[in-house]
Amino acid sequence: MDLKYPARKLSRSVLTMGNVGLQLLWYFLHILLSIWHSILAIRCFIESCFITCGVLEKYKSLNIAKLRYLAIVIESEDAHQTSKVVKLLQWLDSIGVKNVCLYDMNGVLKKSKEAIFGKLKNAKPIEEVNEAVTLHVPEHMTLEFVSYADGKEAMVKAANFIFVENLKRQNFGGEIDGQVISEPLLNEALKVVGCKGPEPDLLLVYGPVRSHLGFPAWRIRYTEIVHMGSLNFLRYGSLIKAIYNFTKVHQNYGT
Amino acid sequence: MFSLKFPIPIENTLTPPPKTNNNNNNNNNNNNYNKFSGCSYYCSVYANDKLRGGIIRSPPTSNVALHNNEASVVGGWPETTEAKEEPFPEELRAELMPKHVAVIMDGNRRWAKTRGLFPWAGHQAGVEALKEVVRLCCSWGIKVLTVFAFSSENWIRPKVEVDFLMSLFEKTINSEIDDFNREGIRISVIGDATKLPSSLLRMIKYAEESTKENSRLQLIVAVSYSGKYDVVQACKSVAKKVKDGILDLEEINEGIIEQELETNCTEFPNPDLLIRTSGELRVSNFLLWQLAYAELYFNGALWPDFGKDEFVEALISFQQRKRRFGGR
Repeated sequence: MDLKYPARKLSRSVLTMGNVGLQLLWYFLHILLSIWHSILAIRCFIESCFITCGVLEKYKSLNIAKLRYLAIVIESEDAHQTSKVVKLLQWLDSIGVKNVCLYDMNGVLKKSKEAIFGKLKNAKPIEEVNEAVTLHVPEHMTLEFVSYADGKEAMVKAANFIFVENLKRQNFGGEIDGQVISEPLLNEALKVVGCKGPEPDLLLVYGPVRSHLGFPAWRIRYTEIVHMGSLNFLRYGSLIKAIYNFTKVHQNYGT
Repeated sequence: MFSLKFPIPIENTLTPPPKTNNNNNNNNNNNNYNKFSGCSYYCSVYANDKLRGGIIRSPPTSNVALHNNEASVVGGWPETTEAKEEPFPEELRAELMPKHVAVIMDGNRRWAKTRGLFPWAGHQAGVEALKEVVRLCCSWGIKVLTVFAFSSENWIRPKVEVDFLMSLFEKTINSEIDDFNREGIRISVIGDATKLPSSLLRMIKYAEESTKENSRLQLIVAVSYSGKYDVVQACKSVAKKVKDGILDLEEINEGIIEQELETNCTEFPNPDLLIRTSGELRVSNFLLWQLAYAELYFNGALWPDFGKDEFVEALISFQQRKRRFGGR
């Protein structure tokens, strides 16, 4: 019995020391990983600078033809920074991206439309452009301004439009045939209610949250979604890299 | 970002691992389910698989057979033992766990191709990965898990592969019903059922019926699903209600349409977190309406390689984001 007590004490001490040792090892490894992540962040920053300066060859020539329509989601709080939005659009214009959809949930960008067009000499609203803007490369920029009202609310309006049209067509009893509702019909109805923009190929999200914040869901079936971080950290190099990576993507579309 | 993904728990590290409650006496190294909190066992399983160049859940290559386009398993598979509760990770906060997680399980075929296997081996490995994620969701209090198993666009794939997948769905559902009931998992299937084989439809109906009282986790499997189709069928349902006099045209709003979406089978229809594996950065027509405010997490791992570490990383990323739902 006496011999067991020191043995137990010894094993407890060993256990305690071992646990402390492993805890220290845990924190040390944690520090190492934090340093590693910091190095990666610095590397991204430096790469962005190199891209901006044109040092990296592969980013010098982008195959913009693949990017027919670009959408940009900006958090409504950041959307008040009109100068940054204009800077972003000017960069896109210089790269050759001419068809852009700007979205923020609360419609702040819609209210800043005039200010934005005032600073961009080479831009027209999508309402003034013929349909199928993506089928050609315009010399001017085409801008579409979209908010939450153009998403789910627009879908409801489009559905209502179909119901009402159906009702009008029925001569007797005012019956509605729900079976006529189809994807092509909803596409047409959305154009009628004022949502005529095509499906974007690429969607860039500027904001703290990695979410598209209610961008019209009907239009993002196969859209590549890239989170760019806050608009406060807008960088030309990051923009180029995102577009370059998009041009290298291959989609199977389910096959 | 600062989560440490080393398999070294700092509690009870010097206690021996508990003995396995494995009814199967097959104790080969391919028993890859990490059921033990003991450090040394985990490390040996993880390390051995890494040294062999495999992954935690890689199946033996010779054991997947394709007979008349039907999935079958020919011996040698590690038997599924009773799932044990997974301890809640220290890096996560229980109060910030998402209620509904959606997953696009992408990368099965690429996984198989990189190993010189047929695509169906990748799909089979994908099933194992799904089982693991289901087990983790159960353990960590996630209420709804929606997985994108088969898209309406996938019907154009080779018939051999499509038939295999339909067979795989049927056999997997059949083999897991007892486990679902034991673990309190309710299964629901959404998508365009008109194109599914009748035997699969019967199995789905049976599974939904027999698990409908379970409430621990709801597993929603999207088969032959399209986000646009979901919206269209919701509009059709609304139109029928108007026709039947249940609704007036003036009453139709977002909420009415949302109630008719296929995700109305759950208390939490909108995912908080969407995970897509294999590095692709798109939603591919999945839950278009429902994903308005979901955190989008794109992971580079192929789906069969997606395990606990990757899932924890996704949850950490979710918990670190400031989700404002458009407000200030």
